[in-house]
Amino acid sequence: MKKKILAAAAAILLQTASIMPVLAQATNSNPLSDVRVRQAIAYAIDMDTIVDTLLEGKAIAAVGLLPNGPYKPNDLNPYKYDPEKAKELLKEAGWDSNRELDLVYYYKDQVTADMMAAFQAYLADVGIKMNYRLLEGDVPAQLSTVPKDPVNGPSAVKWDLAYGALAALALQEYYNRYETGKSAYLPGTPEMDKLIVDINASADPAVQMPAFHAIEKFENERVDLVPLYYQQLFIYQSDRVDRNGGAYGNEQYSYDWGITNWTVKPDAEGKKTLYTNTGPAQFFEQPWLNLGKFIHNKIVFDKLISADGNLTPKAGQLAETYNVSEDGKTVSFTLRDGITWHDGEPITVNDVAWSIETAVKIPNIHPVVSATFLAIEGAKDFVDGKAQHISGIKADGKTITLSFAKADPNVLLTFSQFAPLPAKYFEGVDPLQIQQSQFWQKPIGSGPFKVEEVKMNDFVTFVPYDKYYGGVAQIDQIVALPSDDNDPNLVKNASAHRLDFGYTKNTGDVAALEGMDFMKVTPADIPYTRMLWINQYPKE
Amino acid sequence: MLSYILRRVLLLIPMALVISFLVYLGLEITPGDPVSYMIPPDMYGSMDPERLQALRESLGLGQPFIVRYGIWLWGVLHGNFGYSMSGGVPISTIVADRLPATLELSGIALVLSTIVGCVLGTISALRRGSGTDNSLTVVGMLGVSIPEFFFGLVAILIFALNLQWLPVGGRTLPGYVTFWDRLPHLVMPALVLSVTMTAGVMRYARSSMLDSLNKEFIRTARSKGLPEWRVNLLHGFRVALTPVIVLIGFRLPVLIGGSVVIEQVFQWPGIGNEFVAAVRSQDYPLVMMIALLSVVAVLLASLIVDVLTALIDPRVRLGR
Repeated sequence: MKKKILAAAAAILLQTASIMPVLAQATNSNPLSDVRVRQAIAYAIDMDTIVDTLLEGKAIAAVGLLPNGPYKPNDLNPYKYDPEKAKELLKEAGWDSNRELDLVYYYKDQVTADMMAAFQAYLADVGIKMNYRLLEGDVPAQLSTVPKDPVNGPSAVKWDLAYGALAALALQEYYNRYETGKSAYLPGTPEMDKLIVDINASADPAVQMPAFHAIEKFENERVDLVPLYYQQLFIYQSDRVDRNGGAYGNEQYSYDWGITNWTVKPDAEGKKTLYTNTGPAQFFEQPWLNLGKFIHNKIVFDKLISADGNLTPKAGQLAETYNVSEDGKTVSFTLRDGITWHDGEPITVNDVAWSIETAVKIPNIHPVVSATFLAIEGAKDFVDGKAQHISGIKADGKTITLSFAKADPNVLLTFSQFAPLPAKYFEGVDPLQIQQSQFWQKPIGSGPFKVEEVKMNDFVTFVPYDKYYGGVAQIDQIVALPSDDNDPNLVKNASAHRLDFGYTKNTGDVAALEGMDFMKVTPADIPYTRMLWINQYPKE
Repeated sequence: MLSYILRRVLLLIPMALVISFLVYLGLEITPGDPVSYMIPPDMYGSMDPERLQALRESLGLGQPFIVRYGIWLWGVLHGNFGYSMSGGVPISTIVADRLPATLELSGIALVLSTIVGCVLGTISALRRGSGTDNSLTVVGMLGVSIPEFFFGLVAILIFALNLQWLPVGGRTLPGYVTFWDRLPHLVMPALVLSVTMTAGVMRYARSSMLDSLNKEFIRTARSKGLPEWRVNLLHGFRVALTPVIVLIGFRLPVLIGGSVVIEQVFQWPGIGNEFVAAVRSQDYPLVMMIALLSVVAVLLASLIVDVLTALIDPRVRLGR
């Protein structure tokens, strides 16, 4: 009996990947598969200095992949800059100093180019030769093509190191890509697969937290990638605007910011106009990829449920009530009474069902939304053309019920970001061509503001929707100038009082905005990590 | 002359075809991918390349280059200029939306620069070596040497941000109805664009006028006792105008193609701005349409210059 208990305990210990020693040798012909080489790269780069200089202190040097918060353990190795340690590890690993690493990047800004030069110098200091190049053309394919054999390779991408980022909506996004068969650079392992299953097993934070701690610890030891820094987001707001207690949060997504209560100082004619950017240049972008990047995604389209500033789902929006079954496999939403699209037509569960069935077929939707929809029973058959509809979607009166093949931890998060669209405007439109629909010249939405005037590439105006179920907004008009979230005219327009509100991640712009005495800049910590991916597959 | 013009117009067709093919080829070999452009870089690592390939196929990008060019050309020959790949907006709609803005800005700048440049260049030539000539020469050199984006930024800094006399950019705002409502938005970009264009015309007009004033027919005119203003303007300026017309003629395509730099600096929603965005996003139907328009504009401008030169200068004979 004692032996059995000891054997069981040993088995549990061995299965607990986070406490398994990391094998200190190359696992294939690629020397980057040796953990000592990867750790050496982590030790070789002085991120604190890079943050202070190149990033002007407007970022946080990363310790671990996940952003700071309760989902990350406190005892991670920070891999503080230690070139001697790096050299020692490389020596142990028998690193060939004549080998030249190929680093690729895809951000085209000057800070990134400078950072690549800094990485090259830091790595050269410890005896690693590296050249860097900008990826152009079909970047996702060059970056993310998975090898035919996802365990043994050879690699289907050409690079050794890639500088990239993850702007996550759900924390699982950080790791789900490392499941066997999904990564272009990390050979699949049963240990990682098991840890990924654990972080996706439940939507309950109490269950999720230890699972995230375990996977972070595991990854921190293996250094399959080098976390570099956490990007912050900066919300700017002029002194004309008052949120009246409305929350500040992750502006890249939709959250309950109480915009119907916002007020703006009236102009000379008494009109309360708010100026912002992220308006359309040629067309309104469909709201299922960049969930909150453009202003219309947030104010023209409501979601079934709303989230707080940290994107934690909190209450019904278009749905008056919602319910998740105990096993997490059945989710139902009951729509509010009397809610209408901006054309006055009622919003129905059929619109919601059509939106889900359309979104699941298009490739350019947000990965978290896509993962949720593909987890609905029958979704795969529907996508493959084997079924007319997704069998797991049932509409009854005002209630839509979704049955999942397996529980999705982010189902509520998805529905706090996913905007249903009015189905009748898309009759006969191929889902792959949905963005090409005329609808996107002047969309009909469901949110507190409706599109009023569209002068593409000049401006778009939004006015309060007078039948909005949440009350009519107090701002008379929102004027949105065309730009994406990296607005090249931000400082110029803000200086000229043509921007009252917006957000940026551009550290150069932040310094200029902070210098304007009428502008308040609020930093927000968001799940956004810049990192170096390390390709461990053997090369052909 | 009519047959000459007809021959030149017919020549436009093969030239436009060759140039359109070269532009298409240039786009093909330029690094970039329209579908990648639709995905924000922060999501590159999360997207499924296979699913993106499906999107690429649906946009017709999976076909060989020559087939795509053939399809595009067939469409154009049938009056179908296609749709913008990124947003599905008909190309004709985009061009019709942007062209008035470009015509407004470039047209005013062209007229202003032509009149002011010719007047100042003539004055400079007539007062050769004087303080006025030297001052105008310095101003002209500055105008030619300083890039227009720099002029634009300085103008924004002074007139929009410091003095707050003029708007910082854009063409219109909610509530603007007439041209006069929009005029304050037009002043700065039009003036900045015309300053750089004026400098060129002025320098050209000056040297051309000086050249003309040294010709024998001017001495003959003077010896006939004609008044000096008549000698200078009717005899000297008329001949001096020929090379200036060539310069102005070759600037006519700006009316169609837009001034990329000025439109960018002043957020002017014209063709030039659209062209930059289209090239960046590899939106080839849109790039091709704007390029084709520019090509036709250049070729037509060349024809107009030839005809005008022949009309103004009796020594020039078309078709010889």
